Amino acid sequence: MLPLRLTLCAAGSGAFFLVSLQLPAQQADSARKWSATAGAQAVGVLTHVRPALRGRSLTEGYLTQPLVMAHAASPGRLLGLSLAVDFEGLTLKRGELNPGVYGEGYFDRRHPHTYLHEAIVSVGHSSSGRAYSLSGGKGFVPFGTDDPMVRPFVKYPANHHLAQVLERSMIAGALRWQNLIVEAALFGGDEPTGPGDSPQWDRFGDSWAARATLVRQRMEVQASFASVVSPEIEPGGGLDQHKSSVSVRFGAGRWSSPYALVEWARTDERSGGRNFGYFTSALAEGSLVRRSTKFAARLERTTRPEEERLLDVYRTPNPHSDIATIGQTRWHIATLAVSRQQFVGRITTEPFVEATVAGISSLPGSAFDPAREVFGSRTVWSLSAGLRLAAGTLHRRMGRYGAALPDDPAAGHRHH
Amino acid sequence: MERRCRTTRRRDIDIIETAMSVAPLRGLLLSFVLLASCKDANVPDDTTPPALSVIGFGSATDRYTAELWVRGNVAYTTSWSTRGGIPGNAIKIWDVSGSTPVIVDSVIVQNAGTLGDIQVTEDGQYLVVAIEPSPNGAMAIFSLADPRRPVLVTRFQTAATTRGVHTAEVQVVGGTLYAFLAVNSGSGTSGNLAIVSLANPALPVVVNTSITGVPFVHDVFVRSGMLFVARWNGGMSIYDIGGGSSGGSPSNPAFVSNIVTAGGQVHNIWWYHDASGNRRYAFVGQEGPASLFNTSSGDIHVVDISNMSQPREVAFYSQTGAGTHNFSVDEQRGVLYAAYYNAGVRALDVRGDLSSCTTAQKSPDGRCNLGLMGREIGSTARSEVRPSYVWGVHYVNGRVYASDMLTGLWVFTPAVPSNP
Repeated sequence: MLPLRLTLCAAGSGAFFLVSLQLPAQQADSARKWSATAGAQAVGVLTHVRPALRGRSLTEGYLTQPLVMAHAASPGRLLGLSLAVDFEGLTLKRGELNPGVYGEGYFDRRHPHTYLHEAIVSVGHSSSGRAYSLSGGKGFVPFGTDDPMVRPFVKYPANHHLAQVLERSMIAGALRWQNLIVEAALFGGDEPTGPGDSPQWDRFGDSWAARATLVRQRMEVQASFASVVSPEIEPGGGLDQHKSSVSVRFGAGRWSSPYALVEWARTDERSGGRNFGYFTSALAEGSLVRRSTKFAARLERTTRPEEERLLDVYRTPNPHSDIATIGQTRWHIATLAVSRQQFVGRITTEPFVEATVAGISSLPGSAFDPAREVFGSRTVWSLSAGLRLAAGTLHRRMGRYGAALPDDPAAGHRHH
Repeated sequence: MERRCRTTRRRDIDIIETAMSVAPLRGLLLSFVLLASCKDANVPDDTTPPALSVIGFGSATDRYTAELWVRGNVAYTTSWSTRGGIPGNAIKIWDVSGSTPVIVDSVIVQNAGTLGDIQVTEDGQYLVVAIEPSPNGAMAIFSLADPRRPVLVTRFQTAATTRGVHTAEVQVVGGTLYAFLAVNSGSGTSGNLAIVSLANPALPVVVNTSITGVPFVHDVFVRSGMLFVARWNGGMSIYDIGGGSSGGSPSNPAFVSNIVTAGGQVHNIWWYHDASGNRRYAFVGQEGPASLFNTSSGDIHVVDISNMSQPREVAFYSQTGAGTHNFSVDEQRGVLYAAYYNAGVRALDVRGDLSSCTTAQKSPDGRCNLGLMGREIGSTARSEVRPSYVWGVHYVNGRVYASDMLTGLWVFTPAVPSNP
């Protein structure tokens, strides 16, 4: 039996699971029986965007990415549990200024994730270069690249909804044979509509995804495809998506050095078997750590849909009452970041600064141009500074489970 | 709710005056210039029959124009989303007594981002407007004691409407005025129909909310005590609310039947009563994916409801690269006018038997193709000047009025079927 206790708690406007890890003394004393890790983090950030709203600048502060993470594994990795509880629903209700980012009713502000960000149970077996696993619960579909949260930047790339599929009810099988990992999953296509939202269980299995990854030492090459039914209209009936992703990655984890990722992603929107438009993204990012100081850079070129805005121009109806878009914009975004890792007792402190410049192009035929109607400029600058606090062991990868993890799943990013 | 500010009203009038002060042709010249700037818009290729002739055009470009309603010499248009940072919160009031519509006033609806649907009650006393989206969804009722100066009676906003009211239809059933509100879906909640008694228009009362969509309820059509509900992928459902034999009422609609037309996405409905009293067909509009203001999709479906308990789709009309939106029918002449977004306005001859056609006029699934049957008898696509992206159409007083989201209000001569 897993040594975890899940407690349903009520907080704010929603409910979430509070996780406590209870290691019986005899198990804690015996790593041969169970391995278990847990950690927590939060980022305090001040963001200045110029211009942010019709020529005016905005400066806002947030507590972003407040998470508790846990991982447990039985001897021989027969059984594993990955858990991430995200409290952004309590701290980011208005969304975090992040020009270019969109999804789940937010535009140019990053939406809060759901309280139960990830809760996956895996069973599997490995021997002599082969491993297989079956994972199920709520979490990341085997598609695309790792979540931006475990990459070197605080601010998200605009392609989050093109390059990852997360917070879904799912069951996934993974097979690893020497350097090749193959995954396939069935899941429910519905995106969350708010932090307290849970997957529509009656939609479980309406969507599928598959991913193949070649691993050689610290290098990974992946190609994946997902067929997602009506992600943006929760009860179903909206546009479907066919998503493709290819990436090459060197290194893994926020403090891996050197680290590099190049990815390409495309999403086709479909109805009745016909394509009605597509969005693409190309992204390259990398980081280098020297004497506890990390230097990181990211370049991105992403197209996104434009949708009817509410009186709050950073929000759109969610779910929509029809399946129309009002245009497409292309975003060229460059980000530079510097951060430094320091330890204060058992707490890791990480002050950081990130600077971003985004160029906005409205594609031909677009009826809505956020450069004109929201920002008041085709070029938007952002400067963020803050402090990340972490303790314990956090996930080093987010987006892979069981045999699909190229290295030891319990080997998270350990903080003193 | 308040009257629109004078400066904005002045600006609208200035636009019209500038365009129309010398001669109506000058207005057409302005519209031609407007359209020339939009000529890249995706007007689909087709073999369109005669153009509907333009009678006049009134410009409204500060906001995107949405639905329209015309009664007597006054037209009302709503507005949609934001344009140039200005929210779609205006009802524009037009004088349509002449050939050129002229804006005479506007009403700004507070805390509204989109005003979708609009309708004048049969007796002309009230103007009902749908307010969306969330969280300020509501229905506004105005008194039309002076049709040119609507005065707010009430803004009806309850838990049943806050998710956003997409469409609002008002009809008298059993001697009582009712509003049928298509309320948007929410988080984990399908859209539903809220039936509201307007026995006292100042104090609306919700009497039923049980009919849901899949996931939306987009619109309804109410006539002769029968309720037709557009339930998106749930198709068209028919209910007896007092006119049938099932014992239904507005507070307790009795389900009669349902049909999912080809492709689903059921958006709007018109139950056609022809000049001879025949009530055989319901016309169903499908709203497929669209990229405003370029492309759209979705067909017109013809459903034979001569046996209401067993409706069956018998015909359709399709335009490549364009999709239909709202309908209005000249029932005396038997002409269906369909707003067709980037394909303008299409006029279809819907007289007689629509279910009989040659093999060459049938689709593989056996439905008759009204286009191949030569049923299309008029279009704005071939007009020398034309609207760009038509939301709504209203046939009344021997004229066809069309609301163009980009340019304003258009007036056309009606189409006339060539043979009896």
